[in-house]
Amino acid sequence: MCMRCFELSRRSMLIGGGVLASSLATGVAQARIRPAEMVPLIGPAFRPTDTDEKGLWSQMDRVEEEVAGSNLLIKDPALVSYLQDIIGRVGGPAARDMRIYLAHVPDFNAMMFPSGFAVVFSGLLLRMRNEAQLAGVVAHESGHFLRRHMIRSWRDMKRKSDIFAIGAMAAGLGGAGAGVYLGDYVQLAQLGTIMSLFQYSRAMEAEADAMGAKLIAEAGYPPIEMANVWQQLIGEDANSARYRRKQRRRGSLFDTHPSPDSRMADLRISAAEVTVPGRAYDSGRARYLSKIAPIRQMLLDDQVKLNDPGASAYLLETLAADGWNGLLRYYEGEVWRLRNRVGDDARAAQSYAVAVAYPDAPPEAWRSHGLALLREGRGGEAKSALARYLQMKPAAPDAPFIRQMIG
Amino acid sequence: MRKAKLLAAAAVLTVTSGCNAVGESTDLGVYQLVRARDTKVGNGSMYVTPPRPWNRQRRLFFDSVRWVEDWTLNGPYLDGITFVSGLPNSEFLVRQRRTEDRQVPKFRSNMTAPEIAAMLESAYRVRGGAIEFSTLGLTPRTFMGYPGFQFDYEHLDGDELWRKGRGVGAVIDGRLYLILYDAAKSHYYGNAIQDFEVITNSARLRR
Repeated sequence: MCMRCFELSRRSMLIGGGVLASSLATGVAQARIRPAEMVPLIGPAFRPTDTDEKGLWSQMDRVEEEVAGSNLLIKDPALVSYLQDIIGRVGGPAARDMRIYLAHVPDFNAMMFPSGFAVVFSGLLLRMRNEAQLAGVVAHESGHFLRRHMIRSWRDMKRKSDIFAIGAMAAGLGGAGAGVYLGDYVQLAQLGTIMSLFQYSRAMEAEADAMGAKLIAEAGYPPIEMANVWQQLIGEDANSARYRRKQRRRGSLFDTHPSPDSRMADLRISAAEVTVPGRAYDSGRARYLSKIAPIRQMLLDDQVKLNDPGASAYLLETLAADGWNGLLRYYEGEVWRLRNRVGDDARAAQSYAVAVAYPDAPPEAWRSHGLALLREGRGGEAKSALARYLQMKPAAPDAPFIRQMIG
Repeated sequence: MRKAKLLAAAAVLTVTSGCNAVGESTDLGVYQLVRARDTKVGNGSMYVTPPRPWNRQRRLFFDSVRWVEDWTLNGPYLDGITFVSGLPNSEFLVRQRRTEDRQVPKFRSNMTAPEIAAMLESAYRVRGGAIEFSTLGLTPRTFMGYPGFQFDYEHLDGDELWRKGRGVGAVIDGRLYLILYDAAKSHYYGNAIQDFEVITNSARLRR
């Protein structure tokens, strides 16, 4: 279902009152599933015929209506059609049937709903280094749909327990209306309450991984990128936890996903298996960067301003593995400035100074550089940096204040 | 800040009484009347005079800090004023655990107005659930006789509502004094912005 359900379900549990706990204990070690064994279980224009599945779909149509009307969606037509193109390339037989929505939520997540629509969080776009990685996530989600995981887990769940009535799903959604505001991004992720009713087993996650690897390889993307995504996710989580001096959440009995490390290992083997020697694979990096260019600064803002320095610093370094630039250096400075520990002022100042040496430094880098110089008592240089900011962005909302500072 | 508290309140109320939202069926003594006269706010080092009665949100929540106090007119989802009465160096606007992944940044006495504005933005993103935040203006403004700033902004929150806010503040003797007004953009912001202005202009330090 989703790349990070463990996180989502942890939050949803807060709303869902923990009634789902019984569905979580599926900690059975799982052998790797071979991509070659993964054949889609549905064809084009699939519609459910069984009564229970029809009921589920009609509920999901209502959910989709809610999602489609949400003002948390990023509706930029160019971006949306780009995502739709990708699902078209890696969606297998259902490529033309699936819909994709881009939600403005700075978390790393994507989820597929039972009736074939997917929600991708904007935080995911920030973390992808190329189109192949994005395609890998989308293909994984498509895999759940193509393998009919939702209805399979739904039936499984109903067999196990009666409390998972359809009404419980409505109650989950109703949480939003009842004013249970979590001060978090969960309003949309509350859909996760519903989704957590479809807890996939580890076997299903492994199937979706295998199916995904196969789909992106067929579409001409290097299949190893799926493993790379997973590695980046593990690294980010670990780094975030280390900064706050916590243990990284490890796969446990209560984690329906395979443990992150074994999942990554499986993905690497699967990638090797589906790679055809001699075939040219294209990660689509240049295309990806040009497509997300209009929102990249916003995505970085969304992440860095959450002041999660471990995750943000790791993320910036990951993105900079393909080359540092002014934008990334500026945000590196922002990470230190917001972290605000002893010595961070100097670290931030250094990043800003480096950032402004790049031609692509955003105007804000000049402002921060100027403020840092001011703090160091270098008034003259500070003024010229702040003047440069005003020159680049004369209508900046904080221009009146900066002008006063320059005097 | 306020919304983070709501989280706590909503959780408590849902568990204990099963009611829907704060203040709907019962306020459990969450609110106290503030009369239209001289009133001390926060830790008592700042005084204001509201033009009409407001409601003070009791500080019974786990994340209150003693320099911060919240008022509302129509309920905290719709409007509210937050007073910060002299937050010292190295303190936070909210109480938070050291192990929290995402943290409201620390206040430092040497922060300039753009940095204080950025700190507030992060507070809205981290604790208020803002997913979009835009600065509308940052201008010089005298506050309680000291050189300060006025910060105007709006934000889209996780509950899909656009809110608009204005903060007026100054760093005085190394402490942050600030009054922050935040309300639903449609109707509510316009409804009480004049109250905010009167309150802000009436603000003074305890002698």
